[in-house]
Amino acid sequence: MNKNALVSFEGVVKRFGEFVAVQRMDFEIGKGEFLAIMGSSGCGKTTTLRMLAGLEAPSEGVIRLSGKPINDLPTWSRDTPMVWQSLALFPFLNVIENVEFALKMRGVGKAERRRRAEQWLDRMQISEFAGRNISQLSGGQRQRVALARSLVVEPEILLLDEPLSALDAALKVRMQSVLKNLQRETGITFVYVTHSQSEAFSMADRVVIMSRGKIEQIGTPQEIYRTPRTRFVANFLGSSNIFTGNVVETGDGRATLETPMGAFGLVSSEQSTRALMGRTATLTVLDTKTNLSRTMPTGRVNAVPVRMIGEEFIGATATIYLETGDGHEIRVQKSHEELASLPLQIGQELVAYWNEEDGHLVPEE
Amino acid sequence: MRRPLSLYGLTFSLPLLVWQVLFFVFPLVFLVALSFWTVKNFRMQPDFDGVNWATMYGRAVFWQAYGTTFALAAAASVLVSVLAFPCSYAISFKLSDTARSWAVFLMVIPFFTSYLVRVYSWQIFLSDAGIVNVMLGWVGLGPYTLLNTVGATMIGYLTLTFPLVVLLQLFSLVFIDRTLIEAAHNLRCGRLRTVFAVIIPSARVGLVIAALFAFILSFGDFVSPIYLGGGDPTTLSILITDTTKSGQQWPRAAVIALTMIGTLLAVAFAAVRFAYKGRTK
Repeated sequence: MNKNALVSFEGVVKRFGEFVAVQRMDFEIGKGEFLAIMGSSGCGKTTTLRMLAGLEAPSEGVIRLSGKPINDLPTWSRDTPMVWQSLALFPFLNVIENVEFALKMRGVGKAERRRRAEQWLDRMQISEFAGRNISQLSGGQRQRVALARSLVVEPEILLLDEPLSALDAALKVRMQSVLKNLQRETGITFVYVTHSQSEAFSMADRVVIMSRGKIEQIGTPQEIYRTPRTRFVANFLGSSNIFTGNVVETGDGRATLETPMGAFGLVSSEQSTRALMGRTATLTVLDTKTNLSRTMPTGRVNAVPVRMIGEEFIGATATIYLETGDGHEIRVQKSHEELASLPLQIGQELVAYWNEEDGHLVPEE
Repeated sequence: MRRPLSLYGLTFSLPLLVWQVLFFVFPLVFLVALSFWTVKNFRMQPDFDGVNWATMYGRAVFWQAYGTTFALAAAASVLVSVLAFPCSYAISFKLSDTARSWAVFLMVIPFFTSYLVRVYSWQIFLSDAGIVNVMLGWVGLGPYTLLNTVGATMIGYLTLTFPLVVLLQLFSLVFIDRTLIEAAHNLRCGRLRTVFAVIIPSARVGLVIAALFAFILSFGDFVSPIYLGGGDPTTLSILITDTTKSGQQWPRAAVIALTMIGTLLAVAFAAVRFAYKGRTK
């Protein structure tokens, strides 16, 4: 086990009756890390967080906090404060009483309690609302109260369960930077559950992608973005073109994937590629690494003849939607300058191509 | 929000309105008028004389009965609230959905039989040769005087109010946001402490209204203090019947009744204010 790990999940399984919510999970969370757990609803991300908080007991395996197993520790004996999706602020207490709550439970004296709560209200820039009722606050202000309430005890770890999902888009972006700065300044480990790729990738040091109770990939946002490790991840991120075929040739640092669109070569020195020989596999190529041209390119590239079916502009980049002869969709994302020389009209015949080293092979599930 | 009454709305509310005027407002006005009538030679005659108010309010026995009734009703509402809470807590937090429906059903069953019948059956349990004393006799205890005591009156009040209070408490407990309880646990608030720090404050309105109902029902009850308490100590309801029987003193009885109504209004108002204290819309 890593010495810097604050939390470790060792073979953790969670079943609800027949339903397996989390299957054999092994991963670690480092001290001071901002970890995002991402996946669509029902993938087990919230269950994972709740097990860490002690709100659900694992069916199998061990969860350790600072090396000590915490499976049998009830939630009120752990220091794993959580920020709920609904925020779960106490409506019968005012703002400062909400923030003081955890200190009161720890038997901190009245004056000390007030002082520390005021400090956090000040830090979250909501001092002026100290005496207000929760119902009198806006969504963003409530968010700050919820954060202050959890952080006032200065825990080692903070759990967040989709805390921004109720906010409007502009406020969401503002709160993201508040959260990221807060995490950096305090050095508290954040475990952040979300279904939003933009939230996870903009804030987290590392991202865990889950699907159907299983971890699909763990890595930094860049790693995951550049080399999605499974077909699910590539699909989920939606930033890669995906081709499926048979691996017919490996070795010598190269492999060939035979697909209905033709044979694609790729550079591959990985041991794992050899194991894929003769099997069905998936090739992913980032849409930003996929190029377009009018004629067949030469050199060590893979090329597919395509027909343009649509385009979409987002700021400085454009996404061109294309279709191969057999109806397979390919996307190309480029800046406007890069596309300027191409005749971009719906129905235009073009060639999509990419360098062999930009393709990544993942086993078919 | 205020909207002008439409014909559609009136169609449904009018019958109730008429009913209320006929059988509540009108009798109440009449009761007020009656309290100023006088009685001469066992005959009432319309009058406008404050003598009934002066007589009743000048009597020690009236104030004694008032104090007794108020204290008994207050004690009953506190006692029933405390006894009912663990029951409604268990039903709302510890039972499965099916078991909870059954529990609610069981709580409704007592309303199937008349309260008077249930009080009479308590007499069979509590009398000197009753079921309780016979059973105590088997283990060499008793017999004790159980019937015609304040304790028996209290049992009657509980019989009257317990199921209702459990139901009222239940409906405020089941609507508590469960994440609030998890959040409290998560902030190091233990199980028992959560009951006092989160559950009771969250359900305060319902708990206070339930206690208020217990108070209202017990304060005006005639059956328990007479059939289980034996009419001693005298409550206001007993005093009313005594007053009407002695020399046709309906006007004086009206004074007692109006005092009771005034008291209940004041208590209800205070309770509702307390329940919603610190809440803003």
